[in-house]
Amino acid sequence: MTEEDEAAFDEFLAARSTALLRTAILVCGASQHDAEDLVQNALEKVYRHWSRIRHDNPDSYARRVVVNAAISVSRRRKVIREITFARPPDTPADSPDLDLRDALVAELRRLPARMRAVLVLRYWEDLSEAETAALMGCSAGTVKSQAARGLARIRERMGTREGVLG
Amino acid sequence: MNRGDDRTGLPDGQVARELADAMEAHVRGVHAGPGMAGAVRDRHRTRRIWFRTAGAALVTVAIAGSVPVYLAVNAGPPSSVAGPASRTGSDSLAVAVREVTVPEVVGLSADKAVAVLEQAGLAAAVEGDGGAAGQVARQDPAAGEKVGEGRTVTLVVVEIPAERPTPTPDPSEGEDAPMPQDLGDLGDGRKFGGVEFAHLPEGLKWGEWSVKDGFGTTSYSTSWAEPGLDPGMYSVQAVVYHGDAAARTTARMRGYRDQGAEPVTIDGKRVYIVRTGEAVGRIEESGTPTAIWTERKGLVVEIMMSPDYFDRLGEREAQAEMRRIVEGVTPEK
Repeated sequence: MTEEDEAAFDEFLAARSTALLRTAILVCGASQHDAEDLVQNALEKVYRHWSRIRHDNPDSYARRVVVNAAISVSRRRKVIREITFARPPDTPADSPDLDLRDALVAELRRLPARMRAVLVLRYWEDLSEAETAALMGCSAGTVKSQAARGLARIRERMGTREGVLG
Repeated sequence: MNRGDDRTGLPDGQVARELADAMEAHVRGVHAGPGMAGAVRDRHRTRRIWFRTAGAALVTVAIAGSVPVYLAVNAGPPSSVAGPASRTGSDSLAVAVREVTVPEVVGLSADKAVAVLEQAGLAAAVEGDGGAAGQVARQDPAAGEKVGEGRTVTLVVVEIPAERPTPTPDPSEGEDAPMPQDLGDLGDGRKFGGVEFAHLPEGLKWGEWSVKDGFGTTSYSTSWAEPGLDPGMYSVQAVVYHGDAAARTTARMRGYRDQGAEPVTIDGKRVYIVRTGEAVGRIEESGTPTAIWTERKGLVVEIMMSPDYFDRLGEREAQAEMRRIVEGVTPEK
């Protein structure tokens, strides 16, 4: 690792770490603190291979590492998450003190990890189906169907909140 | 549930937009702290197999003509080498040390540079892929700087293209240079260096590498890792010191005592359990959990647990595992 590599890594982090952290929070449904831990871990991997990957779209590599880590963390955390955000599965999210956005994020969290990742990448990061597929290592068809099913589930659960989304 | 109404009332596009807004609102206030780069580099260091503990001892090895071992150990891909020592904050040694002036070694061959640093009372960490015969392209700290004795000077060694003495096939051509295999196939890795490790935490597998004299003459080291860790990463590493290498560890243990560490008695062994930082012999709160003790005269054993693994086990369980490993160590008959 040359000094130039090190400097470039600093620059990369300055430009990208906030976005990566936000992605991690959305994909794994964790607190900022836990997501930071995850992102640092993922970025350590990026750092390890930095001199090799820095000229070859490091952002896409970093995003891939972060998303994969977020998905697997989210799977491990599932039990805890279910307890933290638990509502019986068929109870509508109609608690009056949750505003719409909180409710949507809560529904997002209840989705399976990969489905949630697809929604985050497609609608928050605004990636195309092909880009999302490349990042997640699946086909564009899978992205399409997962996105549709994810939205349908959210819509279904939110739908009982009469008129809120209408 | 009336799905038909849902479908007409809430089209996908709208849900997607509302969801995107909700996600944006959820993370809008999140910003990565300025410490991210430092934290990543710290993590990188603490995850690496521990070759730097005995920096000074390594140099002795070089004098004894074993530079290739050290270089082999450290000749991993440049990207996997710990950041420059200057980032580690190791200037402020808690143990009182003599100050020395860093000599100029840029332009020297790697083995010569290591020898020169040793003479000055400094240790060397070699980065780059130049090999033992490579040339030192940069050094950190720079020549003329005053640093504590024993401080590690990082050397970036590059290949001298014109004349490579032995055109051996380059094993490091791939992404990762092979780990040293000085002791051959150790099976489960529980017996080496004249010591047997009866207990290891469940699930750990031998790391499939070993180094002889990497921590002074005579020393042996290997590690065990959880499945799925990248090559070069460890969960638990052990070093067995004999002879001169063992003698050198006593100063380190004395240093721990001077920093306030009390040895604990485990199975009749007086064991220093400390967390050690980047600087040789320095106790640091978030350093690598380390246990070191004299098993018998002329035989010292050191066990290090990766901070990641320690965190994963949780402090209580990690401490208990350390004790069990220590208890399980016996000299081979």
